Amino acid sequence: MRSRTTVLIIIALLFATSASVANPAGEGDADRDYTCGGSCHGDPALSSPSDGTVTVSVDPLSFSGTATAVHVTASGMSLSGNRLLGVFLLSSTSGNDDHPEDHGWNILQDPNGGTHNYVEVVVPPSGSVTLTWVMLAPAQSGIQTLFTEIHHGSNPNSNNWAYSALTRGYTVDVQPVPENLPGFAFDWTPETRVTGDDSPTVVGTRNTTSVAVQWMLEGEWVPHDAEVTGEGDEWHAMLPATIGETRIQYQVTTSNGDFSIVQPWLTVATEPAAFDGEIWGARVQALAFGLLVMAFLLSLQARLSPWDGRPELDHTEEVEAAETPPEPPGLEPADDYWSRLVPSEENPGWLWDPVEEEWVADPNNPPEGGE
Amino acid sequence: MFGAATFHAAMAEVVVGTMVLATICAVGCTIATIFPNIAGGRLSSERVMVTMDKASIAGALLGLVFMPIAALSGSFAADNVVNNALLYNKFVYTGLAFGFWASFVIGRVRLGPGVWQHRSLSVLQGATAAMAMLMTTMASSIGGKLVRGESLFDIMPVWLPSDSATVLNPVFSAVLLLVGIASLVVVFRLGPKAERISLD
Repeated sequence: MRSRTTVLIIIALLFATSASVANPAGEGDADRDYTCGGSCHGDPALSSPSDGTVTVSVDPLSFSGTATAVHVTASGMSLSGNRLLGVFLLSSTSGNDDHPEDHGWNILQDPNGGTHNYVEVVVPPSGSVTLTWVMLAPAQSGIQTLFTEIHHGSNPNSNNWAYSALTRGYTVDVQPVPENLPGFAFDWTPETRVTGDDSPTVVGTRNTTSVAVQWMLEGEWVPHDAEVTGEGDEWHAMLPATIGETRIQYQVTTSNGDFSIVQPWLTVATEPAAFDGEIWGARVQALAFGLLVMAFLLSLQARLSPWDGRPELDHTEEVEAAETPPEPPGLEPADDYWSRLVPSEENPGWLWDPVEEEWVADPNNPPEGGE
Repeated sequence: MFGAATFHAAMAEVVVGTMVLATICAVGCTIATIFPNIAGGRLSSERVMVTMDKASIAGALLGLVFMPIAALSGSFAADNVVNNALLYNKFVYTGLAFGFWASFVIGRVRLGPGVWQHRSLSVLQGATAAMAMLMTTMASSIGGKLVRGESLFDIMPVWLPSDSATVLNPVFSAVLLLVGIASLVVVFRLGPKAERISLD
């Protein structure tokens, strides 16, 4: 009884344990506090300092409500097989309310075209990647601090550790905005387009009387001018459609006669066309395929199995052969066939068959000339 | 309490595990039928053949019972929404796997253990099990791609398509479904009757 209880307890404990599994495929872009980087990945048993180098480039002076670019370059880190790197942009590291938007910033665009403070990217073979967040500075003037943190794996990674690095804080002095300074509207965010869509890109502005837009493909050096129409606070820029993996960047210049502000480069966020399948369609199609496969295989089984009427089980020929009357005695191919043949002195080498009434070559004395 | 995704993972493991056993044993029976002298004739000995036959039918039956549970729990885990080609293909491959496994089980039950003594039927059963396992592993591999972003089959140079889906119009799928049902009726009611093969 005691041993049985012990075994049951052990089994219960085994079922109670949960697997500790990292997420080698990442968690996806999201809005995250530093807790994600500091809790699980902060456990010394589960993490280790990164061997990479992170540099942050941000203008130390900004004006309230104007667009500011934060460039984060990560390089030299070990990576897992899928070369995935997670990067945080934070305004504090206290574990809660660390999102820049908790401190008044407004993310216009993250490096992947969204509006998140945590993004995941695949590091190119060069081992270095630069990510850019474009944010509107807080309306409240004052000193702001920005941090970045990176997460990545390693290959090999026998301990299943997460590798992380947190930068020092970078300060940005947010000054009151000069009156009548043209810029992006506070409530405007770059829209996401579907692959192949070349409809005009809407740009929301304030204090602006004219807008100029330049665009270029990622990696290009010389930008192209885009046609812009519109007035007031809404403008439409004609940018080419995004196809495949190509990324298009564009830069907006807002002017009003008194000021002309060149805004940071933005990326045309592109998403694949919506998948047109639905669950009931998938279910019906799957079931239809399954039934068709079954019908084919079952008919094949029946065809190969010994069923009544199958050719190899049809003994008609044997029965007919058994019922066929025997050949007449003189016609049946008897063993004494050669004995009935009569030699002829007139025709040496030939034998006379009295039954068939024909001459047959004598195998023991072939006719001359080999006929 | 646990979520549908956790339950689905457990059910999928049961399905894959039992069907791996069924496939190995079915292919073993086929090999023993084609090459009776392989491994010194030990593989084709009556004891081993009976064991492999029973293991294959038991594994396939168990997997077939758990497959709808796994499919339904997976559907709930995806919130009953198919929003990408991978998920759509997971459904399609699951349906194909179900068709192949059901054919394997029905064939074995209708024809009896003597199916392994019949060379062509034995090859058909082994090929059916192998195809069924291929479809099952495709469906489970897609599960790995969806959850973890990677699969063991990523290292394969050539593999069945999963990133792009052939989405049939639901009406056409429904017509195909009716054709499938009609075909089964024809096979069972109008076609030649497969009889249980007597053991020598």
